[in-house]
Amino acid sequence: MLKQRLIDALGADAVKTEAEDLAVYAFDAYSQGVVPAAVVLPANTREVAAAVKIAKDCGEPIVARGAGTGLCGGAAPARGGIVFSFARMNRVLEVDVRNRRARVQPGLINLDLSKHVAASGLFYAPDPSSQKVSTIGGNIGTNAGGPHCLSYGTTVNHILELEIVDENGDVTTTSVDDVGYDLTGVLVGSEGTLAIVCSAWVRLLRQPETVRVWLAAFDDINAASAAVTGIIGAGIIPTALEMLDRVMLPPIEAAFHAGYPTDAAAVLLIESAGFEDEMNLHENEIRRVMKENGATTWRAAKSQAERDALWAGRKGALGATGRLAPNYYIQDVVVPRTKLPQALKAVEDACAPQGIIAGNVFHAGDGNLHPLLLYDRGDPKQVAAVIEAGNEILKAAVDLGGTISGEHGIGYEKRDTLRRIFSTDDLATMSRVREVFDPRRNLNPEKIFPAGVGCAEVA
Amino acid sequence: MIAAAAPDKVTPKSLDALRETLGRCDREGLKISIEGGKTLSGMGPVLPRADVSLITTGLSAILAHEYHDLTCSAQSGVRVAQLNAVLGEHGQFVPIDVPLRKKATIGGSLAAGWPGPRRHIYGRARDFVIGSQVALADGTLANAGGMVVKNVSGYDMSKLYIGSFGTLAIFTQLNFKTLPVPKKRRAMIAPLPEATRARAIERIASLVVPPAAAFCVEGFGKNVDGADDIDGRVLLYFEGTEELLERATLDTRSVLGKAGVPETSIVDTGAAESLDRTIDACIANKRGRSITYRLFGSPGTAQERAERMRDACNRHELFTDVLFDVMNGDVFVRASERDASHFGAKIEACHAELRELEPRCSIVACDSAARASFEAWGAVPAAIEKMRAIKARFDPHGTLNPGRFIGGI
Repeated sequence: MLKQRLIDALGADAVKTEAEDLAVYAFDAYSQGVVPAAVVLPANTREVAAAVKIAKDCGEPIVARGAGTGLCGGAAPARGGIVFSFARMNRVLEVDVRNRRARVQPGLINLDLSKHVAASGLFYAPDPSSQKVSTIGGNIGTNAGGPHCLSYGTTVNHILELEIVDENGDVTTTSVDDVGYDLTGVLVGSEGTLAIVCSAWVRLLRQPETVRVWLAAFDDINAASAAVTGIIGAGIIPTALEMLDRVMLPPIEAAFHAGYPTDAAAVLLIESAGFEDEMNLHENEIRRVMKENGATTWRAAKSQAERDALWAGRKGALGATGRLAPNYYIQDVVVPRTKLPQALKAVEDACAPQGIIAGNVFHAGDGNLHPLLLYDRGDPKQVAAVIEAGNEILKAAVDLGGTISGEHGIGYEKRDTLRRIFSTDDLATMSRVREVFDPRRNLNPEKIFPAGVGCAEVA
Repeated sequence: MIAAAAPDKVTPKSLDALRETLGRCDREGLKISIEGGKTLSGMGPVLPRADVSLITTGLSAILAHEYHDLTCSAQSGVRVAQLNAVLGEHGQFVPIDVPLRKKATIGGSLAAGWPGPRRHIYGRARDFVIGSQVALADGTLANAGGMVVKNVSGYDMSKLYIGSFGTLAIFTQLNFKTLPVPKKRRAMIAPLPEATRARAIERIASLVVPPAAAFCVEGFGKNVDGADDIDGRVLLYFEGTEELLERATLDTRSVLGKAGVPETSIVDTGAAESLDRTIDACIANKRGRSITYRLFGSPGTAQERAERMRDACNRHELFTDVLFDVMNGDVFVRASERDASHFGAKIEACHAELRELEPRCSIVACDSAARASFEAWGAVPAAIEKMRAIKARFDPHGTLNPGRFIGGI
């Protein structure tokens, strides 16, 4: 009945129910092995609404899915149901150059938006490392960041209006310029638990007049951390400030020939974008801070090709881990920037006793760590050790005054960990919003909220 | 309707005292109006009744300034200017561009969600809030976010409270990320000769070095610096290094000159104060005989919307002062009358016409008795029913600022 109703509403090509089709929707980087009952690929808002109504009639939960690049099971079904793929809603609908904004569909690939508006001298700032494949809709779901959100802010800072379908299949819009509650601000980052985004007006920025990229290498990772604090403390906010450690530099260099020194303890990749008139001042200040903190190498990219190479290494870092181990487990935690040395030590302390090698490639300027725990999935002992070490890292981040996710969300994996940073009252307050949008908890169920946080605790 | 009796005024000095007041009122069915610095009390309707006036200025501690992390935390009753003075000791600030910032509290400013003119470069004040604590209607404290600059752990509840006019909860604490203070500021002011306005603002909007804030003004006398020519005047505020400001100055003079604007004056000393005065003008009243409307929209349509609203007011023989934000598109139109006794009748008809023309325009300032009879917020947004449901979940007894917000929330 479910299958036929979906086919009647969306067409046979837009409905998948064969086991081999469904299996690929049971995953993002995390999976509980739960396969959906059906996958739909709506072509427009009307079809999204129709499918939502059918899901409601049939009592099936819904998971809205972008490209599935998340880390925590946010895009994978926890209770079966219907996965909504937006692969057919992937267009730029409108570009308003004068007012620097664009209306896009949720399935649009992040990088394709910047390519689309480049000729107008504009770009879309949020740039998660997955931007070649991840979608705007998925980015909205997790409030995705990226290296350049240090200066430009995360996805929420760039979303102006949303067209959403609620759990009843009703279509409505929200805008940051609405007089009324900022529903847009709450919907972004809600991981598909409140509504399904069908289109978005997003803010575009002017391409900077000048971009400079520098590389600084250090013999000691703590010196590199101190240099990060030194830059921020000096009142300089680069466009991006990334760190790569001694574990990650050799495989990245081998894979991308980015020009990274392979014998350094840590490398900082620093980008500053803006006006030519200010750039020499920035460069001199940053260089001074690097030198004061013991940088052994200082190199400025001299061409666009050199800049691209340095960034290709950073953005492709995860793929390069295949040279080190069959599998990796990546964490996403944030600490106050001044606590980076302690956080990196905590990663080491969590991993070394268990014999796990951990690499670090992360958004140092934001204090957003991404430890990569290298292991072999075929060895159950290593799997258990990695999970334990991951939990230790989460705990350490919280103990240092930080949080358990900076840009990948809570999903399924971290939902019980949320209790480490929020009280029952805090969670119950969030739950009040969920009760309004999705009282039956059918939109991406069992995500974000720890088991047991529901209306009973709110009442 | 005006409140029948003056409400009891309560100024809690501690979280416990605040929670006790809230819990008591919520249990006993008492209605609370919430006051910060009272600077934006001209927004919204005249409240029908409040039993208790809860004043937040007793919560006035700056809790932390982690200047190496570029973060800070303060209680909600801290004044905006006071916070920035403390941050300024380490060369930092938070861009909360609200009117009367020496008096305005950070809690009130965020609760009112006033979007400042520098948001096109810095972002909205909401984008700088990294965490918050609120007291709910029954006195329960709830936290959101934290003290790190990047955080996607759970719903960003701070966003919901910002701009909610205290109808969901009361801010007790706000955590911000801070910015380095610009090295230098400069104001540029130019009177606009006849038929130069459209060309001038188009060229300002496309300046390679954009101003941090830019306004086109018509009227407002000494509330706003400079003097009008036939098409009013423009005020531009630049921030950056000496070198960048020199370039911006040359570029601005060049493009304005090509637009037919021959004369541009520069203000370096007091540029920040000049910007403050312009922002203050957005809510400046004329002693019981004025009303100011605000209308959001895209920058490209700001002039057209401003002129349409101005012309409507003029048709009703009301004087007008007009200000629009060239970079963000916000329009402010103040309608006034010399004789207060004539104001009420004129503005009543004018208000109806303005609402026909621009259903989403809202009242941001009015100290005339006429305000009591107007619906203040304008057309309700598409998602109003969701908003009403949220209000019902957060404040089931209607304790907090009942009726204060759009749609009677």
